[in-house]
Amino acid sequence: MSQTIRFLLDGREVQVTGLPPTTTLLDWLREHAGRSGTKEGCAEGDCGACTVVLADAHEGRLRWQAINACIRFLPTVHGKALFTVESLRAADGALHPAQRAMVDCHGSQCGFCTPGFVMSLFGLYQTQAQPDDSALADALSGNLCRCTGYRPILAAGRQMYALPAPQSTHLPPPAWRDDPAAEADLLARLAALDDGAALRIDHPAGHYLAPRSAADFARQYAEAPHATILAGGTDVGLWVTKQLKPLPLLLHTGAVREFAHVGEYQDARGTWLEIGAAVSLEAAFAALLREYPEATELYRRFASRPIRNSGTLCGNVANGSPIGDSMPALIAVGAEVVLRRGEQLRSLPLEALYLDYRKKDLAAGEFVQAVRIPRRPAQPGFVFRAWKIAKRHDQDISAVFAGFALRLEDGIVADARLAYGGMAGIPRRAAGAEAALRGRALDAATVAGARAALANDFQPLSDMRATAGYRLQVAQNLLTRLQLELQGQFPTRIHDEESRRAAV
Amino acid sequence: MNDLIQDLQSPVADAGTGFVRVGMPVSRVDGRAKVTGEARYAAEHPAHDLAYGVVVGSTIARGSIAGFRLREALAVPGVVEIITHENRPRMRSFDLFYKDMTAPAGAPFRPLYDGEIHFSGQPVALVVAETFEAARYAASLVAVDYLPQQHETNLMAHLARSHKPKPLKAGFSPPPDERGDAEAALLAAPVRIEAEYYSGVEHHNPLELFASTVIRGEDGHLTIYDKTQSSQNSRWYVSRVFGLGKDKVTVRNPYVGGAFGSGLRPQYQLPLAVMAALQLRRSVRVVLTRQQMFSLGHRPETLQRIKLGADHDGRLRAIVHEAVAETSRYEDYVEVVVNWSGQLYACDNVKLLYRLVALDQSSPMDMRAPGAAHGVHALEVAMDELAWALRLDPLELRLRNYAEQDQMKGLPFSSKALRDCYEQGARRFGWARRPLAPRSMRAGSELVGWGMATGTWDAMQMFARAGAVLHADGRLVVSSAATDIGTGTYTAMCTLAADALGLRLEQVMFQLGDSTLPVAPIEGGSSHVATVGSAVAGVCEKLRKRLFRMARRLDNSPFAKARFDEVEFAGGGLRLRRQPSVAMSVEEVMAAAGEARLEEKYLMLPKVLKQKQYLRATHSAVFCEVRVDEAFGTVRVTRVVSAVAAGRIISAKTARSQVSGAVVWGISQALHEETHADHRLGRFMNHNLAEYHVTVNADVGDIDVIFVDEDDRIVSAIGAKGVGEIGIVGVAAAVCNAIFHATGRRVRSTPMTPEKVMAPEGDVSVSAAL
Repeated sequence: MSQTIRFLLDGREVQVTGLPPTTTLLDWLREHAGRSGTKEGCAEGDCGACTVVLADAHEGRLRWQAINACIRFLPTVHGKALFTVESLRAADGALHPAQRAMVDCHGSQCGFCTPGFVMSLFGLYQTQAQPDDSALADALSGNLCRCTGYRPILAAGRQMYALPAPQSTHLPPPAWRDDPAAEADLLARLAALDDGAALRIDHPAGHYLAPRSAADFARQYAEAPHATILAGGTDVGLWVTKQLKPLPLLLHTGAVREFAHVGEYQDARGTWLEIGAAVSLEAAFAALLREYPEATELYRRFASRPIRNSGTLCGNVANGSPIGDSMPALIAVGAEVVLRRGEQLRSLPLEALYLDYRKKDLAAGEFVQAVRIPRRPAQPGFVFRAWKIAKRHDQDISAVFAGFALRLEDGIVADARLAYGGMAGIPRRAAGAEAALRGRALDAATVAGARAALANDFQPLSDMRATAGYRLQVAQNLLTRLQLELQGQFPTRIHDEESRRAAV
Repeated sequence: MNDLIQDLQSPVADAGTGFVRVGMPVSRVDGRAKVTGEARYAAEHPAHDLAYGVVVGSTIARGSIAGFRLREALAVPGVVEIITHENRPRMRSFDLFYKDMTAPAGAPFRPLYDGEIHFSGQPVALVVAETFEAARYAASLVAVDYLPQQHETNLMAHLARSHKPKPLKAGFSPPPDERGDAEAALLAAPVRIEAEYYSGVEHHNPLELFASTVIRGEDGHLTIYDKTQSSQNSRWYVSRVFGLGKDKVTVRNPYVGGAFGSGLRPQYQLPLAVMAALQLRRSVRVVLTRQQMFSLGHRPETLQRIKLGADHDGRLRAIVHEAVAETSRYEDYVEVVVNWSGQLYACDNVKLLYRLVALDQSSPMDMRAPGAAHGVHALEVAMDELAWALRLDPLELRLRNYAEQDQMKGLPFSSKALRDCYEQGARRFGWARRPLAPRSMRAGSELVGWGMATGTWDAMQMFARAGAVLHADGRLVVSSAATDIGTGTYTAMCTLAADALGLRLEQVMFQLGDSTLPVAPIEGGSSHVATVGSAVAGVCEKLRKRLFRMARRLDNSPFAKARFDEVEFAGGGLRLRRQPSVAMSVEEVMAAAGEARLEEKYLMLPKVLKQKQYLRATHSAVFCEVRVDEAFGTVRVTRVVSAVAAGRIISAKTARSQVSGAVVWGISQALHEETHADHRLGRFMNHNLAEYHVTVNADVGDIDVIFVDEDDRIVSAIGAKGVGEIGIVGVAAAVCNAIFHATGRRVRSTPMTPEKVMAPEGDVSVSAAL
């Protein structure tokens, strides 16, 4: 066991002891490390002014991730390399291309969001060579700017690649330079941080455990079922920064080796992707999209890039919010959850996990160890759609989310799984509408029946996001849209990137 | 005068930037400080004895405090003090001492003065601790007992008790008297439209949280880093509230992370931090949370009714524009909502009405293009409704009613290139190809619509002083207690000064953001460049003349026979216009004359008598394309062309960015921004950036900004008018009009959410609210 948080800041080791485990990375930077370049604009991961970049070792190479420092607890950067806006400039004052381009393109006005944008651009620079506009927009999806109108920042994102390479000596080259030798130094420093021990913090304000093996994690949780499981912290972080809730015992999934992987699982029914409890949304979606590219828009609009880098798919599923976006899509394709308590494992269809609003079929001490997603069915008649309806393109909570998976045989619906979010206290399938589709040709009359059945399947709520009437109408219209699209009337891209600039 | 306030960290352009001219696209001189994180904002100034204050806000909207239960909070390790109205240090009682420079009529809110509650979220206690974490935790343990009274926060429920506002607020003009007979002319008009327009509460939400760091010197002097649009306004307020002399308090704001009007008045974290510093005799920092920023001022909820009457050819016969807006119980916050309708178009019969309803809310505040953002919006949507009623192209309708002079006072415009805005904007957008009828264009699953609107805003000028010191090494330090809330003041002033003296940009430093600098107005109303810029130009002109006289008096001076108008300042010094090889650098002149420094001061007073003979305004024409998916009501703004006439453009990059940023504000107003209240609790509900939506990058399509030629020496000596507000005005109307063109549905309330766009009978919220 180690009580000391150890990580690299600009490549140099930092050791921190004696702080409450819920100290956020942002507060540590600003109040303890004197790095006030990283800003607080909301303290809940919405504005991106606090964006910093983490690097860790992944499959022998450096993996770069922009994250929100405001809701990230400091102990979770243990063993990683941290870079902030102060890290980028070279000793002689030469700006990093992301910084230079932001100045030249006038991407900074009041300057308060600027360090966050710079770090998002730096995160992009480290990971992608010559990104297209869509990738650029994705990298900036977690940053709000109230001054510039964003266009100059996009221009900066394009221009930074045309500028001379960065000169700062403590910055490893971007991944796309494919220069393992140049990464070796930081990788060695990262490796030197890891003495194999689990981090444990005991402080009057609370305890923090970061076991290294699944068995340890399961045992500790079974012994202390009152512990708060901390995965990416994109929800738990707000319990601290917004609700000021004391968290006496945190059990972190992030250091468990077995939880970090996307694997394959086979049983009599077929082959499944198995997404471990600590796999980030970004990594989970990368695997999911290889099977189900139709979920690309779901991936883009699920959350901002920094949230996807921190948050986990298992965390989203285990949280079980009625408006969480992953579940309807996963339920539609027939995903399962692997639940573990001590050494006992069981699996459930995902929809069976949710009993009622915020109530789940989880025993005390039991947790979601993995999500299993079936590989894409080989049959040609398989149809999948995942559609999000919200008021804002990025960073919005869905009014309605729909995941549809159909199997068509000779134009007849052989099977239909229709799952919705935002329509009930839990993400749920539309049993009546499914029945109305099954065994029928997918034509206007069939859809009319399914639309009617949907009104019996759900009695949605009215809230600030949408009224019940709007939700039901949109849920029904999505069925119609599915039919029109399959008839080849038009592709539905609710917010497609390509047509953004297309002239009429 | 101080040559230089060293610790202000005023930015200077990178070495090698070189010579610049007014109007060039210069990169901002504060860019490096901002992209490296070096620029320090109000909450980022260190002090060795710093204590942290966290505000506790009221949970009721109206009533009084019966008592506090503080034992648990005081027991938290590290807590130093909990300040309430019961134990606060002495502060002035008389209302007048709380009136800052932009206060409206009424009795300003006095934080922690007494136990009365005026609005939900009102500060009732300040917990001060050795660490932020301890203060924040203890603040959660403060228990307050209230004696609540029935609150009223719903404008729509209390329209009947509206009153005529007291008009006492800087920059406000009440609606002019009726001209002609509007109602009679309306009845006689062959074509009429009448509609109501509703706009919800909006909050400024600059990215920076409101904060004040009060650093107490050993002698008790307070140096305050405050988030404000005027260091001198905050200094004046602190001095008066606490009875502290001008020499006892310095307020600084060298970097401000956006404000948009929210920093026009001192916000309550300032007096709270000062109170704690005085009581504890140490330095104190108070930072508000994003949630608490929703208890500051807001753009007021407003209901408007417009009636337009026209001839068959589109000529306006009558305009009636009425507005009812909310204010607090303690002040009459006023803004110009309806007057624009008397000035934008030619019409002989105009009736304008503006009233307020006092509610248990904090006073509303100026928010970017206050009054015009929603007032002109309503007019411009109404004009679109009239155009469709006439089956006339909306741009043609505007041209047929083009106002050649102001009819309210019968004055000519100081300059008005609006026709050029229409023409150039329409051409760039391709407006001529627009089919007249709604629902004419479709792309894939979406309907496509094109809409346009006119924008206008005042062109104002205040008075200001500027000081300048030219050093023997050619460095020029110009100063004024101006502010740069991100608008580009540093850059524009450095550009003006460098151009005036022919210096490289990196030779010039502009100092702002310190209350001890020469007097400057609050940065607001798009007047800062016209005001401070003219003062800078004035002081530089004095330097030029002095330098020229010095150069001419030198032995064997090459300028011995030259007149001042025969020399120009360029290339680092002065030279003969007709013979540029006859030149001396500033350094050479200073060395030859044996001068270490030249200092000048200048007081810029607007030429009020001349200005009063003209109506002074900026104008714009906004063209917009939307795509609407009718199955979901979702709207995408794919293209905006904004053509702006705003006088001479001093700093092309910063000005362009001001307008494109404001266009996004307009999109945000159109589609996203609204603060929802729960009137049972009298409280705003979506007080965070997750649920208070501002437009994100992915919601924005192409934005094309055109500055048409204008140069207005009546508004300012430098020809500039100002660009901060004009960019937002009319954008939401253009979006609304484009949605109508796409769908045939008229949405008369903002924001135009998917739900409203889908409603078969047009707008749901207005009909529900009335």
